[in-house]
Amino acid sequence: MIQFSNVTKDYENQTALRDISFVIEKGEMAFITGPSGSGKTTLLKLIYSAEKPDRGNISVAGWDLDQLKASSIPYLRRNIGVVFQDFRLLGNRNVFDNVAMALRIRGMGEREIRTKVFETLKSVNLRHKSDSYPKGLSGGEQQRVVIARAMVADPTVLLADEPTGNLDPDTAESVMRTFKDINARGTTMLIATHNRELYRNTGRKVIRLEGGTLVGVGPG
Amino acid sequence: MSMSPYSFRLAAQSLHREKWINLLSVLTIASGLLVISVALLVAYNVNAATGKLPEKFALTVYLNDNLGREKIDALIGALKKKQSVAQVRFIPKDEAMKELKTMLKNANYVFEGLDENPLPDSLEIRLKREAVSPEEVKKLTGDIGRMQGVAEIDYGEKFLAALHSVKSGVRTVGLSIITIIVAGIIFVCYSTVKILFYRRTEEIETFKLLGATRAFIRAPFIIEGGVIGMAGGLISLMSVYVLYYVVLTRMSSVVPLLSNILFPLDLFLLLPLSGLLLGVAGAVIAVGRLRY
Repeated sequence: MIQFSNVTKDYENQTALRDISFVIEKGEMAFITGPSGSGKTTLLKLIYSAEKPDRGNISVAGWDLDQLKASSIPYLRRNIGVVFQDFRLLGNRNVFDNVAMALRIRGMGEREIRTKVFETLKSVNLRHKSDSYPKGLSGGEQQRVVIARAMVADPTVLLADEPTGNLDPDTAESVMRTFKDINARGTTMLIATHNRELYRNTGRKVIRLEGGTLVGVGPG
Repeated sequence: MSMSPYSFRLAAQSLHREKWINLLSVLTIASGLLVISVALLVAYNVNAATGKLPEKFALTVYLNDNLGREKIDALIGALKKKQSVAQVRFIPKDEAMKELKTMLKNANYVFEGLDENPLPDSLEIRLKREAVSPEEVKKLTGDIGRMQGVAEIDYGEKFLAALHSVKSGVRTVGLSIITIIVAGIIFVCYSTVKILFYRRTEEIETFKLLGATRAFIRAPFIIEGGVIGMAGGLISLMSVYVLYYVVLTRMSSVVPLLSNILFPLDLFLLLPLSGLLLGVAGAVIAVGRLRY
């Protein structure tokens, strides 16, 4: 589902990722780990084509990103749900509209959008907050809105960048349960985290990065 | 460019959220279109006023003495064959004197001592409306002057030249004003859309990351440009109509000539439509030049 072959990414004089190769199979749930600045976020950005690799090939959900035209990027992104580290919620829109946006850009009808959004908000226990604005929500609630927005359109791949970074252990556990449910429905997942507790003893694939270099791929 | 119902909703939200910037742009566009509509109103009325003058315009051809009826008829026949000639009337010298005496009945002393009629026979030629231009008339008088039996031709050369210079002056000044203001209006719409775009950069970036196409991002801005332009057009229409009404009802008692001013009904469609088109044009240029 996701394949990196000898991928290198440089930022001016600094190498962010060097000669990275790995494969994540369809329906798999994997983790990328490493200290801050090890290249986790850059790796995710390469997957949803917010960055272009300087060398190497990337393939995502059947799309060869080398051959991808700028006009096709939106259609690639419609296959990928992203839980951004900085949330990227629209402050002037309520929870419902934030989640619905992912469907509106796909041109879905309003009736269908209402059904899907409320269903998704219910699955992350936020149905009662649909009229609230992001500012009035706690960090954990905002995180769940972002997860709801990422999963509402049933993407093939779901990426999460430090999804539990700002959460207390209970909320973090609840978020991870949600991810496992999403994965159980067949969605391929890649979670970037430096929190070992999330993958320890799970037997899931863990991609370890250090200073932009792949130092190991193996079960957690 | 796909215009989904949601594009209209996004445009409406932005129009409301950025109401002060939008209002300022609408008023600027309205002022520009008001100047254009006043220029059009002047041009329309000058055209309407001068439009009837060609019907009154005539050439007088004085004939040689003792030409004889046969030659005069031949001359009339030849003149009638000319494309620009609408009507030819023969005025015998006696009839001309009669007309002159009627005109100068309060100054009969002018005719004292005249033993014989000094006036020549003449032809009065009326031209077709489209032929009354200085160049056309000059060409025609040249042709007629070379005809046998013609002594002299008289026509309002200065009047005709003045009439045409007024018309072409109004046209040139009007077109220059319209061109400058149209460019100004497009620039206002262009700048407004650009400002609106930059104020929403973060939101647009999120839309892109969620998979929005360029068309989805552009459509609300183009709609907004169109709405701003059309609102400017409607306000200018109302303003120019109020102006017309005030001139007609209040000022015509002081300057009676103003009571003849006409309001072209085309402006009811032309102003909102041109506002819409100029707004869309400015927005299309703006979103086309932005890198995102």
